[in-house]
Amino acid sequence: MRVSLNQVKQYINFELPPVGELVARINQQLGGVENVIDLSDVYKDAVIVKVVECEKHPNADKLSVCKVDDGGKTKDATRDKGGLVEVVCGAPNVHAGMLAVWLPPKSIVPATYHDSEPFVLGARELRGVVSNGMLASPKELGLGDSHEGILEINPAEQTPSGVGIKPGTSFARIYGLNDTIIEIENKMFTHRPDLFGQLGVAREVAGIQHKAFKSPDWYATASVDELQPASDTLDLAVFNDAKDVVPRFMAAIVRDVTIKPSPTWLQAELVRLGGKPINNIVDVTNYIMLLTGQPTHAYDYDKLRGHKLGARLAKAGEKVTLLNHKTYVLDETDIVIVDDEGPVGLGGIMGGGDSEVGETTKHIVLECANFDMYAVRRSSMRHGIFTDALTRFNKGQSPLQNPYALMQLIQSVFDTAGGALGSIVFDEKNEISQNRKVNVTTEFINERLGLKLDEKEISALLQNVEFTVEPGLQVTAPFWRTDIELPEDIVEEVGRLYGFDKLPRELPKRSILPAIKNPENELKQKIRQSLSKAGANEVLTYSFVHEKLLTNAEYGTKGAFRLSNALSPDLHYYRPRILPSLLDKVHMNIKSGYDEFTLFEIGKGHDKGLDLNEEGLPREPQFVDVVYAAKKPQEGAAFYRVRRLLDQLADDLGLELVYAANKFSASTRLFEPSRSAFVNDKVSGAFIGIVGEFAPSVMKKFKLPPYSAGLMLDFEGLRDASIQSTQSYRPLSRFPSVTQDISLITDVGINYRSVETIVVSILNKLEEDFYAHFEPTSIYRADGASQKTTTFRITVSNSQRTLTENEVTAILGDIAALAKREIGASV
Amino acid sequence: MDTEGLIAETRKILLERYAALENKADILKARELKDLFARIPTLSPNERSSFGQAVNKLSNELKLMAAGESDDATDLQPIDVTAPFDTNAALPSLLPAEDGSIHPLTQEIERLSDVFGRMGFAIETSREIDDQYHMFETLNFPKGHPARDDYDTFMTEETDKDGERFIAPAHTSTMQNRMLKKYRNNLEKDEPIAVVVPDRVFRNEDLDARHEHTFYQVEGVYVAKGVHAGMLVATLQKFLEEYYGKELNVRVNPFYFPFTEPSFEFALSCPFCDGNGCHICSQEGWIELLGCGMIHPNVLKAADIDPNIYTGFAWGCGIDRLVMMKYGIEDVRHFHSAKLDFLRQF
Repeated sequence: MRVSLNQVKQYINFELPPVGELVARINQQLGGVENVIDLSDVYKDAVIVKVVECEKHPNADKLSVCKVDDGGKTKDATRDKGGLVEVVCGAPNVHAGMLAVWLPPKSIVPATYHDSEPFVLGARELRGVVSNGMLASPKELGLGDSHEGILEINPAEQTPSGVGIKPGTSFARIYGLNDTIIEIENKMFTHRPDLFGQLGVAREVAGIQHKAFKSPDWYATASVDELQPASDTLDLAVFNDAKDVVPRFMAAIVRDVTIKPSPTWLQAELVRLGGKPINNIVDVTNYIMLLTGQPTHAYDYDKLRGHKLGARLAKAGEKVTLLNHKTYVLDETDIVIVDDEGPVGLGGIMGGGDSEVGETTKHIVLECANFDMYAVRRSSMRHGIFTDALTRFNKGQSPLQNPYALMQLIQSVFDTAGGALGSIVFDEKNEISQNRKVNVTTEFINERLGLKLDEKEISALLQNVEFTVEPGLQVTAPFWRTDIELPEDIVEEVGRLYGFDKLPRELPKRSILPAIKNPENELKQKIRQSLSKAGANEVLTYSFVHEKLLTNAEYGTKGAFRLSNALSPDLHYYRPRILPSLLDKVHMNIKSGYDEFTLFEIGKGHDKGLDLNEEGLPREPQFVDVVYAAKKPQEGAAFYRVRRLLDQLADDLGLELVYAANKFSASTRLFEPSRSAFVNDKVSGAFIGIVGEFAPSVMKKFKLPPYSAGLMLDFEGLRDASIQSTQSYRPLSRFPSVTQDISLITDVGINYRSVETIVVSILNKLEEDFYAHFEPTSIYRADGASQKTTTFRITVSNSQRTLTENEVTAILGDIAALAKREIGASV
Repeated sequence: MDTEGLIAETRKILLERYAALENKADILKARELKDLFARIPTLSPNERSSFGQAVNKLSNELKLMAAGESDDATDLQPIDVTAPFDTNAALPSLLPAEDGSIHPLTQEIERLSDVFGRMGFAIETSREIDDQYHMFETLNFPKGHPARDDYDTFMTEETDKDGERFIAPAHTSTMQNRMLKKYRNNLEKDEPIAVVVPDRVFRNEDLDARHEHTFYQVEGVYVAKGVHAGMLVATLQKFLEEYYGKELNVRVNPFYFPFTEPSFEFALSCPFCDGNGCHICSQEGWIELLGCGMIHPNVLKAADIDPNIYTGFAWGCGIDRLVMMKYGIEDVRHFHSAKLDFLRQF
């Protein structure tokens, strides 16, 4: 939102503080200032001159040599004896006696001021005649596109400054271009329809400085009833067939207008406020919007078929061509402005191209309507049209504003284009409610702000911005404040106008009750610490993935939630699991020179195959996924590398895991069944996940090195298991322990677990005083042999006495005997 | 050479080369094969058909071979998954601890959670798929409200039971209603609702060095009797002072959020230059850090809390930026890049 300080000054009756201070205040009490533009520097050298003489250039047909009078104001100018300055001008409209704008040497052409290389004028010889600077066209002055001729100043024209126009007067001063523009972030004003007009901002600027503001009469007390049409009215029918979404539709004819460029002051106003001058009619409609926030529109009366104008909902399939020359296909939720034969505009968003006001327009119809913010937003979103009018309507403009805006618009048309009222003022509306009274108390306000204001102070703050406050803090917001409904809205208003920076800062009081812990977060942190201690690197990857990632990981897209508005195909699907994202990051890191590494991530997966939760939302199972990769193969299969990591994690979490062959299922498709295992917690039986090497197709598609493997762990399983895990302690024995090895030779088909089970079952049968501990030390198989040797180191102690070697040998004997019986093992 | 002989000769060359190739699929890019294809259009119409068929046959043969190769290229002997280590191999060692790292974002979440935990806040997590009811409606964004446009929200093709698209939460505030309900009973016991939710959020934005579609926020909610806006400022100030380990100035500017009234943008004096101006705060001396405000009565009502008895405040703070400022990280995209060059620095 661009705010002109010169505009603001017109509406207030006190001096503004210096710009820096004002900006700080606006920041603190109104909204974030994004930019401050000092226009006064742009126009500082431009001066009004009188062209005293104007002769044909002796050496050029199209040029004129002028002598101009700048009232002697410009220093360092080269003057003739009479004090006049010589300027060469190529414009066809230059003539003696006119008032023009002169840009002296060394000044910058205003239109180029913000360019990377601004154009600096000099004293330049043009075909033998020296030209001191130049006479400027509207375009060179940054006022629109016209550069066919120089800007001619009409001394009789009204100026907002009220300063009389004479040679030597500063151009900027006359037209208010000695201005400072403050740009405030629109986001701050989402709920404030009034702040999309200069008037509204001026009111707030007064309010935050604790000064009373009074709206100009035309915005507060004027009445359309004062407007009576001339006796010769034109035929027009106005209707509103969509009052639910068009609460008010006002229109009036101004007949016999003259279409021409706007007066310079109006062009200057528009440019300062970020608008673009087009012609006097379009310019005044825009100007009224920029002042009040109320968009208005002008139609060419003769282009309205059947001399009808109204609002209704579109018919499905109906088409409209708008001012942007694009055609839109509508449906029953769009509001259209129509004449007798069809749409001439999309209500609240943009006018139609066919009824545009142009050079040949004679009579105009002015529309000043109010549209439902939700309806216009929906249309704009669906058609992708965003306009200044929409920006204002979708904030919820008040329908009570329309008569004031329309009346000021009609008056402005008279002033700039002549003409007379050619119809009554039509007003097709629903019943419009006034703002309701909101009852608050000083306690309610003070409790929420931590302040101790009294009723008088609160009333004054609100009355400064034209709220009505009756005794006992019965507050009625002015009509333009459609955002005030609740007592809390009054609290915001009071706090902001008072100054949030002045609120007392005190911490809430709390009891000594300990804050609740989050066991899941703590477990995740433990997992992170365990894995990182084991050399793994935690990564975070996107929850959204490319279709290719899913098919490469053998998941496919069937079970994946799909985004409907993703910007890139990389983000089309929610990932069902994390592991594919990790696999995707292996090749890249190997290419960066990392030969061996482990990546892990803790996160969520989403699967359409799962039922919804009690809130009707997709379940969000959590996973701890790991990938290990080495560029060069290491000793043993890669499977055992990740299994080792998982055993370490289990140890850190106090779990004991059981590995069983992969019972192939859909969710494990990316693992190679013969080289992966299902993992369960021994105590709770909870399913922990899958560990293993990847299917060859997956290895290939992700360009994994052959020596790689991974883990896909269920976080919920780990959580359930770790809840049941118990730390056990055994008192230290005073007696030495005995350690012996036993090697069991079995068929290669007997798996390790079967062998281990034998050892465990014997050790578990020892009497209570015994403590036995074992660890596997090697599994040996000669090349091509059909048997293997599994060796365990067994350590036994007794809490009551010193054991003899023979006692331990006997235990090993029991193991050997059982192994022989159960699995046919020899020693 | 006749055309038939040419094809046979080429086939022989290619098969020999194939045996030696490391990446078998490269055989399909062989120049000789391309030359054969290039030859087709130069032949007379009656030669063209039979020659074309023969070239295609060779090409298909090679394709099949290369495709089949992938599945038996690796030696996939079954292994004994119940064993702790491989046959004829020692127990594998773990990678060195110094190679390991915890992601800087999760480290920071842990630090934030620790400070808030000590201040009495419970730590909760958010969702990655939610409904519009939680993301918007319970937060006082009515259906079709223009303020919804300020959140570039990802939506799914799939819809909820009301036929509305699911969304990827664009802020952690999507958890507010749930948190208020979950801890509502605290109020009866004269204890506050005090919760923070640090988690992942999503915005449909184009990626560049400063914009991510996936990032982290920490949501905070505090509700009790007699909570006022000054307490909001004091609480966040205390948090930041504890977090940065120094005294700081803070300020609030008015802002608009549908779910707070009044709403603020909260800034702190730059902790890296003590407000004197540096490259981190763009020489401003201030850092705009977060959005916050007093919880809107409609939000409290949506959780069955009486706004006439209880008041509270809420905030949402981006975490990525805190981390970027802390370490001087130049590109937000590094966070989700999984680059070891980046990760192993933390």
